Amino acid sequence: MGSHGGLFYRYQDLAPQLVPLDYTSCPDVKVPYELIGSMPELKDNPFRQRIAQVFSDDGDGHMTLDNFLDMFSVMSEMAPRDLKAYYAFKIYDFNDDGYICAWDLEQTVTKLTRGELSAEEVSLVCEKVLGEADGDHDGRLSLEDFQNMILRAPDFLSTFHIRI
Amino acid sequence: MFSDDQLNEIIVEAENVPSRVVPEKTPVNSSFSMVSSISDIDMTDSQSFGNPDDKKSKQLLRFSTSLNESFLQTLHRSPGSVGIDTSHENIQGQKLIASLIPMTSRDRIKAIRSQPRTMEEKRNLKKMVDKEKSKQSHRILEFNCCAQCLNSVSQAYRRSKNSLSELLSYISLWQKTFKVIGGKFGTSVLSYFNFLRWLLKFNIFSFIVTFSFIIIPQFTVPEKNTLQFTGLEFFTGAGYFQDTVMYYGFYTNSTVQHGSSGAPYNMQLAYIFTTGACLIVCFFSLLFSMARYFRNNFINPHIYSRGITKLIFCWDFTVTHERAVKLKQKNLSTEIRENLSEIRQENVKLTLNQQLIHVSAHLAAWVVSTGVAIACCVAVYYLAENNSEFLKNHQNPGAVLLLPFLVSCINLATPRLYSLFRLVERYETPRREVYVLLIRNIFLKISIIGILCYYWLNIVAQAGEECWETLIGQEIYRLLLMDFVFSLADSLLGEFLRRLIGMQFPTSLGLQEFDIARNVLELIYAQTLVWIGTFFCPLLPFIQMITLFIMFYVKNISLMMNFQPPSKAWRASQMMTFFIFLLFFPSFTGVLCTLAITIWRLKPSADCGPFRGLPFFIHSIYSWIDTLSKRPGYLWVVWIYQNLIGSVHFFFILTLIVLIITYLYWQITEGRKIMIRLLHEQIINEGKDKMFLIEKLAKLQDMEKRANTSSFTVERRDVEQTSPLHVREHNAAHDLRFRRSVQEENPKV
Repeated sequence: MGSHGGLFYRYQDLAPQLVPLDYTSCPDVKVPYELIGSMPELKDNPFRQRIAQVFSDDGDGHMTLDNFLDMFSVMSEMAPRDLKAYYAFKIYDFNDDGYICAWDLEQTVTKLTRGELSAEEVSLVCEKVLGEADGDHDGRLSLEDFQNMILRAPDFLSTFHIRI
Repeated sequence: MFSDDQLNEIIVEAENVPSRVVPEKTPVNSSFSMVSSISDIDMTDSQSFGNPDDKKSKQLLRFSTSLNESFLQTLHRSPGSVGIDTSHENIQGQKLIASLIPMTSRDRIKAIRSQPRTMEEKRNLKKMVDKEKSKQSHRILEFNCCAQCLNSVSQAYRRSKNSLSELLSYISLWQKTFKVIGGKFGTSVLSYFNFLRWLLKFNIFSFIVTFSFIIIPQFTVPEKNTLQFTGLEFFTGAGYFQDTVMYYGFYTNSTVQHGSSGAPYNMQLAYIFTTGACLIVCFFSLLFSMARYFRNNFINPHIYSRGITKLIFCWDFTVTHERAVKLKQKNLSTEIRENLSEIRQENVKLTLNQQLIHVSAHLAAWVVSTGVAIACCVAVYYLAENNSEFLKNHQNPGAVLLLPFLVSCINLATPRLYSLFRLVERYETPRREVYVLLIRNIFLKISIIGILCYYWLNIVAQAGEECWETLIGQEIYRLLLMDFVFSLADSLLGEFLRRLIGMQFPTSLGLQEFDIARNVLELIYAQTLVWIGTFFCPLLPFIQMITLFIMFYVKNISLMMNFQPPSKAWRASQMMTFFIFLLFFPSFTGVLCTLAITIWRLKPSADCGPFRGLPFFIHSIYSWIDTLSKRPGYLWVVWIYQNLIGSVHFFFILTLIVLIITYLYWQITEGRKIMIRLLHEQIINEGKDKMFLIEKLAKLQDMEKRANTSSFTVERRDVEQTSPLHVREHNAAHDLRFRRSVQEENPKV
């Protein structure tokens, strides 16, 4: 990760009036999601809302400096694979129930393809994914299934990466 | 996540349905053993595919995911709070801390870092662990100041390493450019530029070493250069450059000594040791990179290789450009559609006729490609042999460029010819197609370099010419330069032309896609030449450095203007592993063989260079060992040389040990594969268990409902009791695999 100083200035740049330059008093400042989502690194990412929600304190997308640092630290090159897999799992888990169920998959595929696929193609894709990755055949992906699948996809480490 | 005493509640309730049992908090002991049994099972899970470094952190990761909220509560409540609830969670939190304390500080930091928690929680965790540790260490007497010393040294080392890596990432070359390239084209194209930057580092290192140890000392004893300088030297490398530090022939064979008190500097030894050091460092660097890539990316061939899951979950987050993202989404939809239709078409079997046609097409393509490669090699050899007579007849100094020109033309045209075979051959997977193309291209390039080396070492070196090493150095320089000029022309002219032509067609034929494989092979070819040539032309790494620098910017500009993002998923990591393997195996090992033959078998020229007059290059080492054996202080060096490096027995025993260790590791790997398979089956069985238990639970709920529909007040209470049941039902099923261990521990069930 680039020096903490650099990230702090990026954070401060998002909302110069809100974020004080002096953080020694640990102010309770949250930058609203709209500003986070307008960062050049995130603004065209199909999953930007989920990313902000996962790393924010209350799941609403408004992030403190700690959340911001967390986010870019996990998405950096140095983060270990398990940590990335854990957070990727949370991002793809749209209803936050701890599992990626068929509905979560449908949301993911829709976001990925921007409505290019028809509804029946989407459900076919979800079926195929569950068929391939669901190890214990309970109709949804647990964190272990996801991590198992990630082990077989060595590209994951380099693609789940945001440069800042 | 679901906490474990609530799990017990469900089991208790499921078993004792008729009696409406108030969910009792289980005593602390059972939860403890449950927690330990959880951690035991996690241990075996992680052992099957963790490496020792990550084992502990993996265990902690799984451990902590089930304790996420409970730990937060532990932090916020005071230690002496009441309630079995909080003490239960407190104990789980303390267990996490207790497992972190005995670790070394390096492991502890790694483990805390890999925890899926927010920064604040990690900070608090570290604070608590440090506090506990300091409390403990107060009780334990200080061992010795040695341990403390070691501790502070390692801390200082770690801090300096951190600041150094931060500094390096700060001055890391081309960081912003990479971000732009990745934003528009994604990770796959970025891997080519990464490879280029990595090769650049090799060359920078080689240059620094050769500059400091060979070139600078030579500068201090310069010889007069009487030749004239014309501009043509940049292309031919001959003429004025012949008598400069650029070539082997210029170097002195004497011992450089400044003044009577200065340290003597033996140029012979310096030359051979510097070359050796560069090669050894490159060797180890390649080996470690290859090992790292193999470890991360070498996977068992599994159904996932054609699966759709990777397409869904490996979205490239580095792409940030708006149009690139839209294009990528469109491409992804196309790929998903293709994948779906492939799966439907998988069962189509080919008739015998069609199979025969396919096999014969493959065979014909292989024969033709091998024939073309051999024909090119013969042409190069023929031209090289007749080159000297040709040169005597034509006095034009530019005539020496004919051979490099031919070689570069071959390198330009033949890969494109190989790509045309695609129209005739049909492959099952696009991946196989890429691999076959790569193998054919690398065979061509390596055979051309091979034939040239054969010519140089067997003909040129033994023709009795004066200063044959310089001649070889010049040849290599010309080859490299011509290759560079052709690449520049290809990028600047060829790709622009292609785009202009493509703009006439409005279809997707318009813009071309970046051919990563071909470009990487060109880099590997150039690097092989540089490695061979460093012995004969010590300035070659410097030239390659400049070349790579310029190529980066040229390729970048051409990429931005003439190319579109790749339409198919390109397995960047697997390909990178393969490329680094190619760099190591035919390329670097070939270089080592060539240089070994040079040093052990060839006679240095009599009048020039640091090894003039010796019967073989290696005799410089022999005479050095001889002089050392006369000095009493260095007898250990002589001993090592005679008994370890020069002795056959030592190598025999070493080889035997290495083979035994390899065999053992191979057997361990086989055993682990079996264990993975068994664990996989176990997971499937547990899933079936879960389904069975969920059905049983549902049946029992139905029975309970039916039994209690009669009375109104009873029904009311049951609704209250069964609704938490309904909510937790799904979560309960997930942890039901621990039912057996729970049953053993819990006496009530």
